[in-house]
Amino acid sequence: MPPIDVLTPTSPDEAVAAFGDGTGVVVLGGGTIVVPEMTYGRLKPERVLILGRSGLAGISRSGSTVTIGAATSVADLVGLSAPLGPCAANVADAEIRAQGTVGGNLCAGEGPEAPRGDLQGALLALGATVRSAGAGGISSDPLEDFLPKRRSRLALDVSFEEPAAGAFANLDRPHTHDYTALAVSGARAADGTIRLAATGAGWWGLRLPSAEAKAGDPEAAGHAALADVQLADDALASAWYRGKVLPVLVRRVLVQLKEIA
Amino acid sequence: MKAVGARLPRYDGIAHVTGRSTYVDDVRIPGTLWVKALRSPHHNAAITKLDTSPAEAMKGVHAVVTAADVPLLVYGHLSALGIPGDEPLLASGEVRYEGQPIAVVAAESEELAMAAVEAIRIEYEERPALFDIRKAFDPGAPVVHEWGNWYPHFEGEMDRRQIRKGDIEWAFDKADTIVQGVYRPAAIEHVPLETQVCQVVPEADGRLTIYSCTQALYFSLGVVCAHLQLPLNRVKVVGGTVGGGFGGKVDTATETMCALLAQKSGRPVKWRWTREEEFLCSSTRAPWHMEIADAVTKDGWILGRKMLTLHDSGAYARFSPYGLTKHSFHHAGAYTIPNIHFDGYVVFTNRVPTTAMRGFGVTSVSFAVETHLSRIAVELGIDPFELRLKNANRIGDTTPNGVVLTDPSTVPTIQAIADAIGHELTAEYRTTTGDTRSGAFLPEHLVAQLGNPEDH
Amino acid sequence: MNLTVNGVAREVESGPLTPLLFVLRDELELTGAKAGCQQGGCGACTVLVDGEPRRSCLTPLIAVEGAAITTAEGLGTPEDLAPIQQAFTHHYAAQCGFCTSGLMLAAQAYIDHGGIDDRHAIQEALSGHVCRCTGYVKIVDAVAAAARGDEFDLTVTAGSSGMTTGGVR
Repeated sequence: MPPIDVLTPTSPDEAVAAFGDGTGVVVLGGGTIVVPEMTYGRLKPERVLILGRSGLAGISRSGSTVTIGAATSVADLVGLSAPLGPCAANVADAEIRAQGTVGGNLCAGEGPEAPRGDLQGALLALGATVRSAGAGGISSDPLEDFLPKRRSRLALDVSFEEPAAGAFANLDRPHTHDYTALAVSGARAADGTIRLAATGAGWWGLRLPSAEAKAGDPEAAGHAALADVQLADDALASAWYRGKVLPVLVRRVLVQLKEIA
Repeated sequence: MKAVGARLPRYDGIAHVTGRSTYVDDVRIPGTLWVKALRSPHHNAAITKLDTSPAEAMKGVHAVVTAADVPLLVYGHLSALGIPGDEPLLASGEVRYEGQPIAVVAAESEELAMAAVEAIRIEYEERPALFDIRKAFDPGAPVVHEWGNWYPHFEGEMDRRQIRKGDIEWAFDKADTIVQGVYRPAAIEHVPLETQVCQVVPEADGRLTIYSCTQALYFSLGVVCAHLQLPLNRVKVVGGTVGGGFGGKVDTATETMCALLAQKSGRPVKWRWTREEEFLCSSTRAPWHMEIADAVTKDGWILGRKMLTLHDSGAYARFSPYGLTKHSFHHAGAYTIPNIHFDGYVVFTNRVPTTAMRGFGVTSVSFAVETHLSRIAVELGIDPFELRLKNANRIGDTTPNGVVLTDPSTVPTIQAIADAIGHELTAEYRTTTGDTRSGAFLPEHLVAQLGNPEDH
Repeated sequence: MNLTVNGVAREVESGPLTPLLFVLRDELELTGAKAGCQQGGCGACTVLVDGEPRRSCLTPLIAVEGAAITTAEGLGTPEDLAPIQQAFTHHYAAQCGFCTSGLMLAAQAYIDHGGIDDRHAIQEALSGHVCRCTGYVKIVDAVAAAARGDEFDLTVTAGSSGMTTGGVR
């Protein structure tokens, strides 16, 4: 096997330069997704960019804006408020959370057997913006615009406005290492707007606009959410089961949001 | 008995906690070649072309073994129990399950072995596959085994395990109601933390040393020697440190192929299955389909049981006839049912052959019969404990296969359970014992089945 | 690449993307960490990296350059068992033993970080570890005992091999 070119940038600028336009580069954050793909021979990269020492980790606040570096571990999010904190706490187990990164989780490709990207739903509900590098230089995109092109970009950080209220409800499968089978995140902005998003209801995180339109009636919103998703059978759950649980999770999130002043 | 209830040392306890237990993959032999297998991508197909020469020609590939290299290709692992062989060590002319091994390669790295496997030229002609044991008996079903779709070699060339006792027609006629149920436990993968692994060393004097994770060392020794047509003293199996088996490491799934590669290459070889291989290609506990119809009286006597069992053996018989036999012994559970009509079939499908797993053959029937009793209790509106105590085995009761019971523990066990969970039993159920039936616990229809334990 | 393993400075030749698990098992011949799945799903490969439990099958060598690695072999020896090893022995927390190495190291980290005798917290900390043999109860018993600082008399359970048993460290 030809030797792999291993790139080890020691600063964000070096990481951006090393990534270039992303052609032929595999980004390795914590390695929890990329390393087993290589072990099993499914991924045979020519160039691997190690993000661990590039100074892209850390959570900072400026006013009400929270910015999370792409190399921040999922574990470091656990103490944050809903939806992101409980969403992070629900990812796999303690050892995986400590090693996996926000960027890796956001940018994960579709898994062979189930969707990935546990944090996508929570960050969609928070209206997060992703700053990324790649062809055309550095850009900032709303997460829903970033997700379709996530595989060709180097995520640098993700930021959002601290919500007035947040909530998270998931299909609880304790002590499993699986990706999220189904979860719903919700956030209410300072101006009262409610955003809802689901993970595990499609190949990546999805907004639930039909449910948002009925946010005042949690029961109705739950059923409306089914119009926004593409449910499928996979290794984690069947479409039928997800279809039964999604309205319940939407309802719970909306009820929780109502209860927060 | 000094050991029962005593605290004793585990002979491997200290080794386990210090990371020193030597599992097969921890055995490191210099010069070891690595093994990978060409596995069928199809459920049921003829092999129309097989050319291993591109793999053999690759630099770093030291041996390729196919069916043609095996001195005795088909050997029944349980032929000593009367179960004839049907499964070739490596596929020959056809494949009958996805994952079936067709060729094995020994090369200087696992990566190279995999590349060699991919270089093998093979062509298939797919055939219709059968996955649902219920459909195996349909006239139009694909026939997936040379013996037909179900095993026909029980004693007397019976094609099923058949148990008949008493007069089932009488029971069904006399019953106040018939309670039916269908029970279909799914396949279960053992998931041992240690996957299948084997290291073979060809010794200078022509003997073979096999480091194996088998649960059945002498059994596997016999299987290897049978396939290789070697006397038993030409092979030494080093085993005993198994990272979990649960019945899934009795199939001798790697040892023989590794032995052939070691012989052919003259080098030590090691084969270690990936977790994905373990899930996709290793044998599982069998799926079952059980139908029970009990003829019951409204006060809870089970007059008769009609039962049909289909056991999914997968593509080959392996140990399934033995598992079904064990299952058949227990179809009345721990209860006295005087009229019995049981049929059990070992059915072939195009799935990975199934094997033993804890309680082989019996967990399925225990699950079914106990669930069925609970179902009866619900339908009749009877306390589930009292339903069981009424029908429970007692001294002198005769089982469906004619055994007169001398000391069944059913009654005290059920009473102990009720007591442990605080379930109140009425007086006569609290005081009944496992002694020979009498009084309210000896209805007319159970008189004839009483036997004398001393006569047996 | 340089790293410290069980207190000993080592220079390893394996490539930078080699999973730490294979560096330990193949190059350094420390076979205590096990390959249960090679995808981070079982915890049999867990080792301590600067005191933190990590899946060595997911950790590329370059990520632990300069770090201090602890494996089961480094916790203690048959002649001098660490308390967690004594606890596992005393409570029969190992059956086939394949998950034991990873579990003990995760348990050690839990205790080192102030983990107490709280079954729920112990289960949370060890939730990445699969055991197919024991049903986990005795494992939690052992970790709880070690967290409490129990002393163990291993004269019975440490075997008849004649080794001096650890006693309390």
